[in-house]
This record gives sequence, structure tokens and C-alpha cells, in this order.
Amino acid sequence: MRTSIEPGRAGFAEGLVSEWTKFRTVQSTRWTLAAMAAFVLGIAVFVGATRSLQPDDTVLGGSLTGATVGLLVAASFGVLVMSREFATATIGATLMACPRRGVVLAAKTTVTAAVMFGVALATSFLAHQVGTVMLPDTYAPGTPMPALLGVAACFSVTALGGLAVGTLLRHSAGAITTMVSVLLLPTLIGPLLGGWERWVAGASPVAAVQKLSQSSDAAPAAVGSLGAWPSLWLVCGYVLVTLVGAGLVFRRRDA
Amino acid sequence: MIEASGLTKRYGDRLAVDGLSFQIRPGRVTGFLGPNGAGKSTTMRLILGLHTPSRGSVTVNGRRYRDLSTPLREVGALLDARAVDGGRTAQDHLLWLAQSNQIPRRRVDEVLELAGLAPVASRRVGGFSLGMAQRLGIAAALLGDPGVLIFDEPVNGLDTEGIRWIRGLMRGLAAEGRTVLASSHLMSEMELTADQLLVIGQGRLLADTTMQDLIEGNAEAGTLVRSPQWPGLRDLLEGRGARLRPGQQGRWQVLGLNAEAIGQLAAEHGIALHELTPRRSSLEEVYVQMTDTRVEYRATGPAPGQPATTTSSNGG
Repeated sequence: MRTSIEPGRAGFAEGLVSEWTKFRTVQSTRWTLAAMAAFVLGIAVFVGATRSLQPDDTVLGGSLTGATVGLLVAASFGVLVMSREFATATIGATLMACPRRGVVLAAKTTVTAAVMFGVALATSFLAHQVGTVMLPDTYAPGTPMPALLGVAACFSVTALGGLAVGTLLRHSAGAITTMVSVLLLPTLIGPLLGGWERWVAGASPVAAVQKLSQSSDAAPAAVGSLGAWPSLWLVCGYVLVTLVGAGLVFRRRDA
Repeated sequence: MIEASGLTKRYGDRLAVDGLSFQIRPGRVTGFLGPNGAGKSTTMRLILGLHTPSRGSVTVNGRRYRDLSTPLREVGALLDARAVDGGRTAQDHLLWLAQSNQIPRRRVDEVLELAGLAPVASRRVGGFSLGMAQRLGIAAALLGDPGVLIFDEPVNGLDTEGIRWIRGLMRGLAAEGRTVLASSHLMSEMELTADQLLVIGQGRLLADTTMQDLIEGNAEAGTLVRSPQWPGLRDLLEGRGARLRPGQQGRWQVLGLNAEAIGQLAAEHGIALHELTPRRSSLEEVYVQMTDTRVEYRATGPAPGQPATTTSSNGG
């Protein structure tokens, strides 16, 4: 009965293919992405229809008003990629198929980052188109390129932050709550911190997206004078640190 | 071949696996027995690299699981049938597993067919019965056509037909020269399937022996006797050094004399026998005796008239 199977490998490339299949064969992850796009586009349409933006705002910034909510969903998406494996105990099968846990995490990270970058880029591009069509010329247009690439990258990195926290905490609810706090608290408690506000609020991915989209919300008093791209690199930096920490814990922990 | 040496796993101050050393050889079904909490599942997770040993080591085909280059092609395991994402179809579940080890896609259809799941291949696993989930787990274990198979409670949730199927499957896999390790709490099932037995209690090895040796070495094979002239027969038997234990419905269990000797003795003295039944202990009785002193979560006291015997093959 032993069938002969030609020899193969179980490395990073195989991990990528496998993680991609996992992603596309479960509906809930796709729904999360669809919800994210719907939020961002819905708010762009709302802003376009009601002109609910500051006089000094840009079309680009106004169109991406929904990005803050979008980032929350992106973070939840990243959390779910990992926490769903723990919730369903599929993680056991994953690690039996590829016991090199660093490779597993790298494959998940790559698929999550790529999917989120693609969806966020398409969404923010469409949102900008909505704003361009619906908003009058009285608003400054803003410079969409390469800003939209930066916005998409920020979504992608935020999702990886969720993935890292999901790996560390293993429980969806706890990890999503953590990510929501990290994303929203700086803006909420920032005004209470006086001179520290620009440091605390300015480090959030929300601030990075506001700066990249040239929104009038990105006032130096609120989010610091650090430029748009350096803000993005700062977010990338601490997400990378969290991800490496999560990788070290994931490699050592019993599954 | 699975080899453990001094395998130990400690969780906090609880010793789940305590210095296990064993070799599980190819070509036979090795049954893994032990009460709940004895450390069977932990041992399997240690073999599969899911948990890291506190001390000691365990290897599959001479290498640690984590060092296998394509693990699913060397080891197939079913630990928990419910450990699948219910949102995925059976086919997709097997597909991502296959892709992770570069196993050709046709193997997915082959194992679905083999496990009798072809008709439900495109149904979501969340709607599966425990029996179907168990079949899917077995299909996943066979996916890479591995030489080593590890099944935790494989007959769990299967109906009679499913149990017969898995029994035949395990025997067939062993006959093909593969290494098969299966745990079960169903002694009767083990008695039918396993050639070799590994018995553990409280994380320690109680016995590593063949089924036959275990039963013959530990069972007190006795003879059940019923006679209308019992007092007379009793004196004769005791005169020959037999030990007697009262049984049910006027029967006595005679130890130390076989049925031929008892029958002969009765005939010589003109004593009528209404029953003379040689009996061999079942695996279950041997197992109960062996683990009696080791049961961690015991509901009641020791069974009456079953003194705990120690085994000669205690490797702990």
C-alpha cells in the first residue's frame, strides 16, 4: 500500500503556499478584510457627501478619515491570523507539519503583510478617488503618491503588530483589546498629558497615517513634528521589536 | 522506530512524565496504556516536538522531531480530532497540510478516499460528527505516507464499523513494516489490536512487554470450581497447597492447581463437580492490578481481593 511520493521539502516557500491556502480557505478572515474596506470607503463617501472636513484639510486627508477605524480592523485581522490557530488548536497540526517555528511565523508574517498591503492600497486608492470626485476644488488636493503606498504599508505593519500580540497572548479577545488600546489610547489620553502628548500620540500608527495623508488632524501640537515617513519607520521599528519578541516566546513555548 | 531515553517533563512542580525510556519498533502495533493523567498524551506531544522535554530526549528514526526535514512524510499523528478549523472544508484542511511538506495534491484525494470521506470532502469540518472528525484526523496522519504513525485514542467516537476499520488499518500499517503507536483506555480494544504494550502510570513506565507476556506474567490464572460437596473438596485442595477465594453464586476460585489436577482429585475421592472452568485474566484485570497503586484520580478504593502486584519489568 505504500505509495511512492517524490521527495520534497518543508521550508519557507512551502510554508508560504500553505499559509496562503489557510488564509483563502476560511471565510472569516476574508470578511474581516471586506469589513475594513467597507468602513474606509463608507466614511470616504460620507465625508464627500457631507463635506464634514476642516477648511484647511486636504482631499487626500479627508478621504482617509476612516483610516483610524480601518487600522483597528487591520490590527484585529493580524490578531486573528494567529489567535484563530490557537482557538481551534490547529497550531498543533501547523507545528507538526513545520516544526521550525521561526519559519512558521515568518510565513504567516509574509502572507499577512502582503495581503494587508494589497487590500489597504486598493482601499485607500479607491477612497482617494471617492474624495476626488465628491469634494469641491476649494480643498487642497494633497499629494497621493507615494503617500498612499505609505498608508498601505502602515496598515500592513499594524496588522503585523496584531499578529505579534496574537502570538504572545494567544487569545483573540485579549489581543484585540490590547491592539485597540494601543491604537486609540494615545489619541484619547494624549490631551491629558500636556507636553508629552506629541510624543505619545505621535508614535501611534494612527498619527503616521494622518501625517501621510496630509490630514489637518496631523497638527504638530497633537502628534509632534516628526515627519510622515519617519513616523512610519518608528512604527515599523517597534512592531519589529514586538514581532521578534513574539518569535522568541513562540519558539520556546510548549504548544 | 521511536526511541526515548530518560524522557522527563515537568510542569511547575508536577512531574507529568518521569524518566521514560523505551523503544517502539516497526512492524507491530504498540499499545500505549495508562489511566487518565498518566502522561500518555504528554509523551506523544514530546515525541512530536510540540512540548520540550525538561530532561532526557526522544527521537524518531534517530532524529529529534524538530530536525526532520519533511516531518509529515516521516511521522503521521492524530492527537485530537477536534483540533481543526471548523470553517475549512476537509479537502482544504488536507491541502494546506500537503502543501507544507510538498506532498502532491493527488494524495489528498487518495487519503480522503481511504478514510471514507470522499463524499464529504467539500463540506466544512465544523459540521462533522466526532467519528468523521476522527477519520479526517487519520486521513491527515496518512497524508505523507509516513513510516511512523502515532494515534491518541484512535477509536474514540467511531461506530462499530469505524472501530473495525481502524483496527484493520493499524494492523495493516504494522504489517507493511511501519511503526504504529496507539493509546487507548479501552483494554478490550488493545487486546485485539496491539502486539506490544507500553504501560505507564503517573508518568512512569510500569511495563514494556508483549501482550502475551504481560497477561501470563501478571495474571493469576485460576480455575472456577462449583461442587455440592464443597467442604470435602476444600479440605483436599488445601491439602495440596491450593489457595482459595470465594467467588459468585457458590463458586470458588482455586489458585495454584490447574483444572486437570482438580478434576483428578475430585474423581479420586468421588466428589461431584458442577463446574470446572479454567480462566485466564483479561488484559483489563492485569492492568487494573498493575495500575491500582498508581492511579492518580481514583474514584473508589482498591478492588476487593485484588492485591496490587508489582511487575518485574518496572523500568521507572
